[in-house]
Amino acid sequence: MATEVVMPKLGLSMKEGTVSVWNKRVGDFVSKGEIIANINSEKIEMEYESPIEGTLLEIIVPEGQGVSPGTVICYLGNPDEKVGGNAKTSPNLLAQKEEAAAVSVVEVEPVIPSNIQSNKREIKISPIARKMAEAAGLDTEMIQGTGPQGRITKEDVEQAIAGQSSSESSSKLEEEMKQRVNQDVEQVDRIPVSGIRKVIASRMQDSLRHSAQLTLTMKADVTDLVVLQKQMSEVAQKQYEVKLTLTDFVARAVVLSLQKHKSMNSAYVEDQIHVFGHVHLGMAVALDKGLVVPVIRHAQNCSLMDLSNKIKLLAGRARQGQLGSEEMQGSTFTITNLGAYGIEHFTPVLNLPETGILGVGTVQDTPVYKGEELQKRSILPLSLTFDHRVLDGAPAAEFLRTIKQHLEEPFSMFL
Amino acid sequence: MTALTVIGGGPAGYVAAIIAAQRGKQVTLIEQKDLGGICLNEGCMPTKSLLESAEMFEKVKHVEQFGIQIPVNEIGISWSGVQGYKNGIVKKLVQGIGYLMKKNKIKVIKGKASFLDAHRIQVDGAGKQEMVEADQVIIASGSGPVSLPFAPFDGEWVIHSGQVMSLPSIPSSLLIVGGGVIGCEFASIYSRMGTKVTMVEMADQLLPGEDADMAAVLHKELEKANVQIYTSTSLKNLNAKEKKAVFENKDGLHEQRADYVLVSIGRKPRITEIGLEKIGVLFSKQGIQVNEHMQTNIPHIYACGDIVGGIQLAHVAFHEGTIAASHACGQDVKVNYRAVPRCIYTSPEIAGVGMTEKQAREHYGDIRVGEFPFAANGKALILNEQIGKVKVIVEPQFNEIIGISIVGPRATELIGQGTVMLHAEMTVDVMENFIAAHPTLSEAIHEALLSTVGHAVHS
Repeated sequence: MATEVVMPKLGLSMKEGTVSVWNKRVGDFVSKGEIIANINSEKIEMEYESPIEGTLLEIIVPEGQGVSPGTVICYLGNPDEKVGGNAKTSPNLLAQKEEAAAVSVVEVEPVIPSNIQSNKREIKISPIARKMAEAAGLDTEMIQGTGPQGRITKEDVEQAIAGQSSSESSSKLEEEMKQRVNQDVEQVDRIPVSGIRKVIASRMQDSLRHSAQLTLTMKADVTDLVVLQKQMSEVAQKQYEVKLTLTDFVARAVVLSLQKHKSMNSAYVEDQIHVFGHVHLGMAVALDKGLVVPVIRHAQNCSLMDLSNKIKLLAGRARQGQLGSEEMQGSTFTITNLGAYGIEHFTPVLNLPETGILGVGTVQDTPVYKGEELQKRSILPLSLTFDHRVLDGAPAAEFLRTIKQHLEEPFSMFL
Repeated sequence: MTALTVIGGGPAGYVAAIIAAQRGKQVTLIEQKDLGGICLNEGCMPTKSLLESAEMFEKVKHVEQFGIQIPVNEIGISWSGVQGYKNGIVKKLVQGIGYLMKKNKIKVIKGKASFLDAHRIQVDGAGKQEMVEADQVIIASGSGPVSLPFAPFDGEWVIHSGQVMSLPSIPSSLLIVGGGVIGCEFASIYSRMGTKVTMVEMADQLLPGEDADMAAVLHKELEKANVQIYTSTSLKNLNAKEKKAVFENKDGLHEQRADYVLVSIGRKPRITEIGLEKIGVLFSKQGIQVNEHMQTNIPHIYACGDIVGGIQLAHVAFHEGTIAASHACGQDVKVNYRAVPRCIYTSPEIAGVGMTEKQAREHYGDIRVGEFPFAANGKALILNEQIGKVKVIVEPQFNEIIGISIVGPRATELIGQGTVMLHAEMTVDVMENFIAAHPTLSEAIHEALLSTVGHAVHS
C-alpha cells in the first residue's frame, strides 16, 4: 500500500502550507530523511525530510498551491504499487500521518501561551448565520448584528451577502471600464496570494482591525553617536570581526528604554494586558518574498556586542531562508528600519499582540540651531507606533524620549 | 409626562399599556367591554376550558384502561358545571388584568372610542361622554368574526365563535361552516360532548394552512368521534325557519338540519366606527397599515394586534403590542415574525412553527424532512395517546431547521422547543447532541430532528 505524505503542521497556528519546490520527481527513489520538498509557511521556508523510504509515486499538491496541514501532498511506495482506492484518508489515519510527518520537523512550542495568542473578540452569531457567512466567505467581524446584544442573525448575513455582491458588481464594472481604457495597452499579472504573502496580508489586516494604533514621531540628534559608532566599530572590527552599526545602538537604546517603561513591553490579549519581564526583541528583515521578523530572545541580557552579533546572525539566516519558526515567535517589541531606503518618518504597523513597534528612518545631515549658532548635525527620524488600548500618548511619548536621550547621550547606554 | 392612549384592552392593547406605563408614560386605556379582549372573554381562554372539560370527560370514559374502576354508565356532563368552570376562569383572568392596570397606574375608561382628530378621542360610555387627549395613540381595536353575506349572525341559529361557547345546553346537532382552526376546535369540543357535528369546508382539507398529512390525522380522529366532514364543499343556503342548510360538492346538493350553525370562516379587523378616516391613517379592509415598528403613517399613532391584519394570534398581538409601546417610548425595536408558533387545540392537538413542508418545498425546492411517530414514543404509550407524529423540516444546504409540525399529545406545549430552535436560528448539527429528557414526549422532536440527517435511534 502506498504511503501518504501529508503537509506537516509547523506550530499550532499554522493554517496553510505551500510546497515551494519539489526536489524529487515522480519515479525518483527517496531514502528516509532525504529532502523531498521545501515547504513554505508562516514566514518560514523549511526543508521537508521524507518520513520513509520509497519511490515517489505521485505528487498531489503542485508547487505554489497552498493546502491545510494534514492534506496529502504526495505518495511514496514501491515502484510497482498503484496509488488509489486509498485516496480518502480517515481522520484517525490522518492524525497518525500528521504525527509521523511532524517527526521530521522541529515541533515548535509557542513562546506566548496559546491562550494569549488569539486576539479575536467573541462574535455573537446564530448557527445558521455562521454557516452562511462561512459559505459566502464573509468575515463575521465585518457584519453588523441586529439581534439581541448585537447577535448576527440570518437576515444580517443575507444583507451582507447582498451588499457584497452589489459592491462586487460595482467593482467589476470599474474593472471593465479600466480594461476598456487600457485595452491591449497594459498586461495584468494575477498572482495568487499564498504562503508568506497570505500570512503577512492577514496579520497586517488583523493588526489594523484589532488594535487602536497610532504613531508618534520624534527626531534624535545622533551626531555624537555617529562619531562614537565609528570609533567603536573600528575596535570591534579588529577584536571581534563584527561591524557595529547604528541599528545595533538603536536596538540597545530600545532594550534599555523598554526596561524603564515596562508598559511598552507588553501585549493586549483578550481584555488583559500582559506585561513582560523579559525583552524578546523582534528585528524586521525585508526579503524578496516578504517580511520576516527574527527574534532576539532575552535581549535585556545582551551587551551591545551580543546584540550586534545576534542581529547579523539572524538577519543572515533569514536571508538564506534558514530561520526556524521558533526563531520568529514570542517577540515583545519590534524594530523596523527603512533608513537604507532613504525613508524618514513612517507609520509602522504593530506586530500583534505587541504594544509597540519602532520605525527607524535614515540619518540626514541637517542644519540645527545650537543656541544662536547654526550647526550641521546628524538627525535620525524615529516613528513609534503604539496601541492606545494599552497606554496613552504621554507615557508613549516618554518612552520615545528615553530612546532619544540614550541616542543623544550614547555613553548613557554603557552606564 | 407624555400622555399615551391605548384603544382596546385585548392582548395587544393591555400589554402595550403596561409596557408604556412601565417606561414612564401616563397611560389611558379605552375598552368598550371587558378587559382581556376576545382572547380572555370569547376566545383562547374559555375555549380551552371547554376543551379541557371535553377531554376530561373522554379520559374518564376510558379510565378503565388505566386499571381504575368506576361505574362508567353513571358518568355524565353537567353543562352548567362546564360553563361555571369556564366562566370562573374567565372572571379570574379578567380581574387579573384589572389588577395589572391598577398596579401600573393605567387609567381604564369603559366605552367606545372614536377619533375626533389625531390627538383627541371621544369615549362614549354608559350614559356619559368623555374626551381624552393624547400625545401618542396605540390602536388595538382587534377583529370580529366574518359573517356570510346571505346569512348574517342572528345569535339564535346562525352564531359566531363568541356565542357558540355559551349555549344554554349541549346542542344535539351543530353545523360548522369553515374547517379552519376555530371550526376544528369546536368540532373537537362538541363532538366529545355528544353533539352530532357536521363540518363544511371549501378547501380540499381541514386546516388549509397546515400540511395535508397533519390535517389528515385530525380528520380521521374527528371522524372517529362521529363528525361528518365535507371538504371541497360550499354552502349554498341557510334556511333559518327550517333550521336547514344546503351545501354542494361534486356529489351534488346536500341538505342538513342542525340546532345551530357556527360560521367560522375567518376574522376581520375592526376598522369601522373608530374615526380612522377623520385622522388620515392609512388602512384597507385588511387592516391598518404599519411599518416594522408598528407605526402608522402618522408617526405618533401606532397600531397592533388583529387590527393590522397579518397573523391573528394572541401571542403575535403580545409581541406587536410590546414593539409598538417600546418604540413609542423611544426604543429602536422592530417586529420579528420568524418564529411564531401556531397552536390548534383539537384532539389530537396540532402545532407548528416556521414553514410547513408544503411552504418549504415551494421556497427551497429540495428539502429534508424527518418524521417520528408517537407510536414509537414510550411516554405516549403510557399516556395511551399514540396518535400523531413530529415532523422536522430542514433546508438542504446548511441543514437549517426551518419548520417543525406536531400532531399528537401535548403538541401545543411541545412546540415550545421548536420555537426556541427557530428563534435561535439553529442548524441540525448544533441540536444533534442535545440531550432530550427520558421518558418524555419531547424525545420525539429530537428523534425527528435526527432522522432529517438519517441518525434517528428509535424508529
